Amino acid sequence: MGPGQPEYVGMTRVQLLDAGRAPITAQQYYAEGDPGPIVAALASVPELLGPTLGFVAAALGRGSTSVRLKEFAILRTSALQGCQFCIHAHTSVSLDIGLSPEEIRALRGEVPLEDGFPSESERALIGWIDALAGATGPIPDDVWVEARRHWPEHVLVELTVTVGATMFLNRFATGFELPTADHVMARLDAAGLA
Amino acid sequence: MTMVASRPAAVTVPSAASGPIAEAVASGELPGRVWIYSNYHCNLACSYCLTESSPRSERRQLTAEQMLAVAEQARSLGFTALGVTGGEPLLLPWLPETVLAMAHQLPVVLLTNGTLFAGDRIKRAAMLADPNIALQISLDSHLPDLNDMARGPDNFANVVSAVPRLVASGVRVRIATTTAGPLDSPLLDPLRDLVRSLGVCDEDHVIRPIVRRGRADERELGVLAAARDIPSELTIAADGAFWGSFGPTVRSGRLDTDLLLTRTILPLSVPANALLATMRGLPEGADASLGIR
Repeated sequence: MGPGQPEYVGMTRVQLLDAGRAPITAQQYYAEGDPGPIVAALASVPELLGPTLGFVAAALGRGSTSVRLKEFAILRTSALQGCQFCIHAHTSVSLDIGLSPEEIRALRGEVPLEDGFPSESERALIGWIDALAGATGPIPDDVWVEARRHWPEHVLVELTVTVGATMFLNRFATGFELPTADHVMARLDAAGLA
Repeated sequence: MTMVASRPAAVTVPSAASGPIAEAVASGELPGRVWIYSNYHCNLACSYCLTESSPRSERRQLTAEQMLAVAEQARSLGFTALGVTGGEPLLLPWLPETVLAMAHQLPVVLLTNGTLFAGDRIKRAAMLADPNIALQISLDSHLPDLNDMARGPDNFANVVSAVPRLVASGVRVRIATTTAGPLDSPLLDPLRDLVRSLGVCDEDHVIRPIVRRGRADERELGVLAAARDIPSELTIAADGAFWGSFGPTVRSGRLDTDLLLTRTILPLSVPANALLATMRGLPEGADASLGIR
């Protein structure tokens, strides 16, 4: 691997375009170095980069709800969808924003939810996320009613968009076998969360 | 009845296109020509080929319908000319009729290696005797051995045989010479004389450098060129839309994506707008000072 080269070249089902092969219409995404495997895979269809990343940034980034709730939606959805790339990436993000290892394990389904989340309101929200991302078909009324009892409608709308965008990323990363960067795995190893 | 008189009225009526693309073309900001890679396969395997074209190449060809749609939409958007290249376009049996139909929209230059005009095939080519069509045929040296070393056996003989017959059929022929040396070298004078003797005037003899992309890059031939050195002509291929006709190059069997604009080719406004936006975002450069064309 040469200097400045991504850590993951040649390990996926699709080409991950490095800066030298990045389309001229995608160069802005490489201006600050390796943009990561999602961008490097999407760059094969550069006209998708702007709309896709704009949507993902709006759905997963800072919004009207707290980053803590956003990470609930992202990490829980990724665990329900079995996306290793997204679980690894958002375990790291969850540590960054201050989630405890116990909360992370609970969101990843490795310990009972009650062990990580004593709060009834947060469990109600995770119940809504589970109904969206962990099942198909109609969602029972009681799940919605319980979530609404604790959270305003706009929060549930925003987090439902977050769940949907995360499911898209989950399938994108899983389908193309996008690899986790070495430094992320090293961090999770060190935290006992690999 | 002359060929001009028989043409559809649309040919002689200037496009009334308006909008950002038309304005950029009219002001000279955006080149007026749209290039179309009809296909990638070829009956030759030239040493400096940008697309590693050969008889064994994957075809990756556009359909006649796609090429006509590009022509129609190019005119509507305000582009002023078309080019068709490959691969060898004339390996596609429907290509002459398609080019003729495209020429009803905009003037077309059709690039060909000139080796497919033997015998009765010259009659098929005669349908391209149209004021809106020019054939551009490659010839790299006045010395048969030197020419054929790069372009393949018998290429020289085929070309010098075909060109006068095409000219006699009323087809406008341009000759393109690709050289590793200086573009104004006196060593090219005998070739210039030969081209004139074939019935092709000096203004229809294009001399250009080898661009170090594709197979030429593997063999370290030609001039290095950044995007700003390459004319920013919108180029459409089966693989997508590219910045310049030197964009969709291939090396080691893999498409170069560095000059890719969009994978979407139609509607043509998608890649055209991407090209214009990219041009406006790039710093000023040498702007084709290398003589690449």
